[in-house]
Amino acid sequence: MELRVSKHNAVTIAEVDGRIDGMTAKEFEEKMAEAIPEGGGPMVCDLSHVSYVSSAGLRAILVIAKRFSKDGNFFSVCGHSGPVAEVLRISGFEKIIPMHESRADAVEKAEG
Amino acid sequence: MLTLAEEIVLLTLDDEGGKFLYVPEHSMRYALSGAVLMELAFRGKIDADPDSLFILDTTSTNDGMLDSILKQIAKEEERHDCSYWIQYFGREAYRIQQVALQRLCDAGILRAEDKSFLWVFKSRRYPIRNDLAEKEVKQRIMALLFSDDIPDPRDIAIIGLAESCRLFERMFSRSEYERVRGRIEEIGRLELIGQTISKVVREIEFQLGQATAIGPM
Repeated sequence: MELRVSKHNAVTIAEVDGRIDGMTAKEFEEKMAEAIPEGGGPMVCDLSHVSYVSSAGLRAILVIAKRFSKDGNFFSVCGHSGPVAEVLRISGFEKIIPMHESRADAVEKAEG
Repeated sequence: MLTLAEEIVLLTLDDEGGKFLYVPEHSMRYALSGAVLMELAFRGKIDADPDSLFILDTTSTNDGMLDSILKQIAKEEERHDCSYWIQYFGREAYRIQQVALQRLCDAGILRAEDKSFLWVFKSRRYPIRNDLAEKEVKQRIMALLFSDDIPDPRDIAIIGLAESCRLFERMFSRSEYERVRGRIEEIGRLELIGQTISKVVREIEFQLGQATAIGPM
């Protein structure tokens, strides 16, 4: 699992590559926690290059979203498709975390 | 920290007399079975997706009950989904419940009390000695249900288990329950093993309903 962090104006974009499962969930949480900018600001987690998310992966995304949103920061997920989108849909993630099909939509919303 | 099985057992006890609240037998069975599976998942021993539940790590959890469940999953050569394992370990629900009760007694949270009825029938009750743990669980649940906060994984699990046992229908008035019902469902769905418990319970209830509708042959 790889994580690339970039900035689009004030928005932090964390692009995940690989699988988020029981073997990588802890690493995902640690890397995402490091990517949280000092002083906060909106963050978009881009899952376009994620091929698989398990139950442990879902929990890791929730843990990060909770930690990040605690200080009133905006956190959203984008780019999910195929089996990843299916797992997120089954779990009803869109009711708890804002989700966007494309990164552009997510960034626009985050800049809000 | 209490295990999920201990927390759900605590929630199914009457606050004052220590009697078990009425929970349909199949709901309790699968809630306890699901509680140990989720506990293993939270400890990084197993993981799941919509198609299967699988082992990540077979090293000891330092908990005899969890280790025995983990061993049984590990020795199975074929992969099965969450529903299979929830039903499989449903047969161990009594043991899971007894271990949880014993630990709650050992921790000074409950005390076991044997009562006689008509001098013949004996029943065991578990009055609460220290209600801090139970209050803490209930406060966590209430705070989440009446807010838009993102729940943490253990809270998702306990809310799913409590709903499977229909405990919220007792905790809340009818109007309160209707108000939070949507939120309970949203939170319960977030955990794959948790939502499978609800599905298994609903399937059993559907089958029971069908059997009742058909009637005896």
